[in-house]
Amino acid sequence: MKILVCIKQVPDMESKFKVNSENTWYDSGDLAWRMNEYDEYAVEQAVQLKEQQGDADLTVLCIGPDRVKETMKKALAMGCDRGAHLQDDESHKREPLEIASIIAEYARDKEFDVVFTGMQSQDRGSGQVGVLLGEILDMSCVTTVIEFGFEAGEIKVKRELEGGVKAKVKTTTPAVLTCQLGLNTPRYPTLPNIMKAKKKELLSSPAADLLKVDSRQNTQTMYFPEKKGVGLVLEGEIADLTDELIKILKEKTGVLA
Amino acid sequence: MTTNYLGEKMADTILKGGEYLIADLACEDIFTPEDFTDEQKQMGETTEQFIVNEIMPHIDEIDKQNFDIVVDGMQKCGELGLLMMDSPEEYGGLELDKASSMLVSEKVSMGGSFSVAYAAHTGIGTLPLIYYGTPEQKEKYLEKITSGEWIAAYCLTEPGSGSDALGAQASAVLSEDGKHYILNGTKQYITNGGFAQLYTVFAKIDKEHFTAFLVEKSFEGLVVGAEEKKLGIKGSSTTQIILDNCKVPVENVLGEIGKGHKIAFNVLNVGRFKLGAGVTGASKMALVEGIKYANERKQFKTPIAKFGAIKEKIADLTAKIFASESLVYRLAGDLDNKLATIEKGIDNYYEEYQKGIEEYAPECGISKVFCSEVLAKTVDEVVQIHGGYGFCSEYPAERYYRDERINRIFEGTNEINRLLIPGMILRKSMKGELPLQAEAMKAFEALMTPSFEEIEDVPFAAEKALLKNMKTLFLILAGAGVQKYMDKIADEQEILMAAADIAIQIYALESALLRAEKNYDNVSESKKELYLAAVKVFAFDAAEATGSAARKGAFYIEEGDTLTMILSGVRRFTKYDATGLLQAKRLLASASSESEKYLF
Repeated sequence: MKILVCIKQVPDMESKFKVNSENTWYDSGDLAWRMNEYDEYAVEQAVQLKEQQGDADLTVLCIGPDRVKETMKKALAMGCDRGAHLQDDESHKREPLEIASIIAEYARDKEFDVVFTGMQSQDRGSGQVGVLLGEILDMSCVTTVIEFGFEAGEIKVKRELEGGVKAKVKTTTPAVLTCQLGLNTPRYPTLPNIMKAKKKELLSSPAADLLKVDSRQNTQTMYFPEKKGVGLVLEGEIADLTDELIKILKEKTGVLA
Repeated sequence: MTTNYLGEKMADTILKGGEYLIADLACEDIFTPEDFTDEQKQMGETTEQFIVNEIMPHIDEIDKQNFDIVVDGMQKCGELGLLMMDSPEEYGGLELDKASSMLVSEKVSMGGSFSVAYAAHTGIGTLPLIYYGTPEQKEKYLEKITSGEWIAAYCLTEPGSGSDALGAQASAVLSEDGKHYILNGTKQYITNGGFAQLYTVFAKIDKEHFTAFLVEKSFEGLVVGAEEKKLGIKGSSTTQIILDNCKVPVENVLGEIGKGHKIAFNVLNVGRFKLGAGVTGASKMALVEGIKYANERKQFKTPIAKFGAIKEKIADLTAKIFASESLVYRLAGDLDNKLATIEKGIDNYYEEYQKGIEEYAPECGISKVFCSEVLAKTVDEVVQIHGGYGFCSEYPAERYYRDERINRIFEGTNEINRLLIPGMILRKSMKGELPLQAEAMKAFEALMTPSFEEIEDVPFAAEKALLKNMKTLFLILAGAGVQKYMDKIADEQEILMAAADIAIQIYALESALLRAEKNYDNVSESKKELYLAAVKVFAFDAAEATGSAARKGAFYIEEGDTLTMILSGVRRFTKYDATGLLQAKRLLASASSESEKYLF
């Protein structure tokens, strides 16, 4: 069995973000970088499938500048066999179709049976790459997977839908699955595996060679929402507070009119 | 040609222990946290996630001495490989560099009492066996320990002998059939005592030959005492270990008979250095707690983080912790470079390895003293930032405050370490390993020659000039002390303590300064400003602390004209133009408040 897992490197979401000088994306200076949370579920599931299959070969793929190799090494330490780094300093500017196209061109002749991706990235959040990839490669695609099973050539998954509704879906390989929170608990890479991962193949090649589509979207402007009126905390004696509250309700709202 | 594990530095450029006091280093010569490899960062991340997810949610339970959580957590550490970092590959270990194991220690320190169990197990618990165990002993015990199946403890202290470790009373006598040693005595303050399965016990054979023994919990005559009731780290196990005619097979003698002191002291060097890394991690965590609280807490309708009185605390702590962190990893790099020169697989590998670490014994002591005192200052100020809430156990600041205290006591009290630092450096000088006397002569000449050196207007120039002057000042005082007391200087503890303070400040400032300089060109403009600010704030502190210690030392040693001359030297050599100090502090504070993180 051949498995592909696609990951993205994103900033630590607790960072204080600033908009970049072109007003099109966040400023990437002084940020700490991590594996996209949903991609961690994807990697974990891919590794579990590989362990179940025994003779499977698992490739991790990531598009981005050289710094993404650090995140790829984590996936290798978690249990991926080899890494394909598609070098692209401008990857943050690419729309979902371009990203999907690059991955599809990479995967086209490699006969992957199962492709895992996160259901979305924590920074762009389009949720489209997995679906577009399935479409380009003419593979079945199931999104927001929260349970995964593979038996006798058949994939059985549970999906999460709006409002807590669940759905069970069966499909055959080859298939693309986008992974949602709750699917599994990603393992911590152990120290021995971190050291072993150093010896695993991690090849870089230019993403530009694989890009076969033109961009159809571009970000016009990116901005923080305007600050709305802040909440008001009243302090003091209860009697005074009541008076003050009634006054505010009368003056600023219609509830007592 | 020998290179280090990064393939960078050659052996012949490695500084000797204590040589920093007379050498002029370039920033490329030191290792900094910014030099971590992807693998090292990954190890740090694994450790941090494990502690945050698996240990921190249980800290209250652990502090109620629910030791099952600790033992279980240690086994999980074993599964993750966190207990095998120093262990040789032939016994399933990883034999990683010191920088990696320091980073892991730093991250584990967020686990409060749990980190004490971890540190004792991986440090003093495991290292004696690794360094001195026979192949048979390692075969029998090492994998049990590095997997977490067994917990290890180290039994040196006794009710009547703490700092004076060799004054131990515990005795060992060979049985009549020659198959066992019979151990008697009481060991005190044994970390992990309650749940360890393997104890490294020090006792004197025939009341004379200080020797280490590997003692299993199941051995007849080993009795675990009651848990001590403690001020802090309440969730660590601290008991007496009572040896009541305890039967230890002769093959469990560790190392050579009569050479137990080597084991006892060499292992402490690593312990001191690792403690420096651990407390640095604890300092960072406490600081962040203080920063967050200051943003949250409003008085006079303003978050207290906006007030200068609080800003100054946050800035001062940030600068001190920057120095603490820089110092620990610089030392890790020095040790790694040194140890990389030893050929693996040679028969006396661990003997050479021990010598390599012992070379940096003064710096290991500095790491212990400086970093633990930075933590002390940090937790104190973090309680203060919390005001009344800091005094209540509802907030973690209270626990940080209590848990901190032991760090200035165990692994050799800070007093013992302060005496050792100049003591060891002076001994190196007397053995001819360091040309301290010749350099002291030059320093005296400098004292009598006026200087008109201008400070260039480039980043860190003022701090470099200060650092050089602080070294000169150390040499002047050490020279004066040695000249007056000769080899009796060891009895003048107050003078040694003052000398230690100066040596510590020099090492800390140099580490912070060179780290900032090394990374200055690779960072954004705003980060550059932060580096400059942290170095300025710390340099001001270091100059003040050095001036105070040097003046004290001068009054202790000299009188009359020489005293006057040295005092004027103190003024001259601790002069530091800290123009912009207030702005630097405000910058550090506001950047900390904005990011709610330790900045570096």
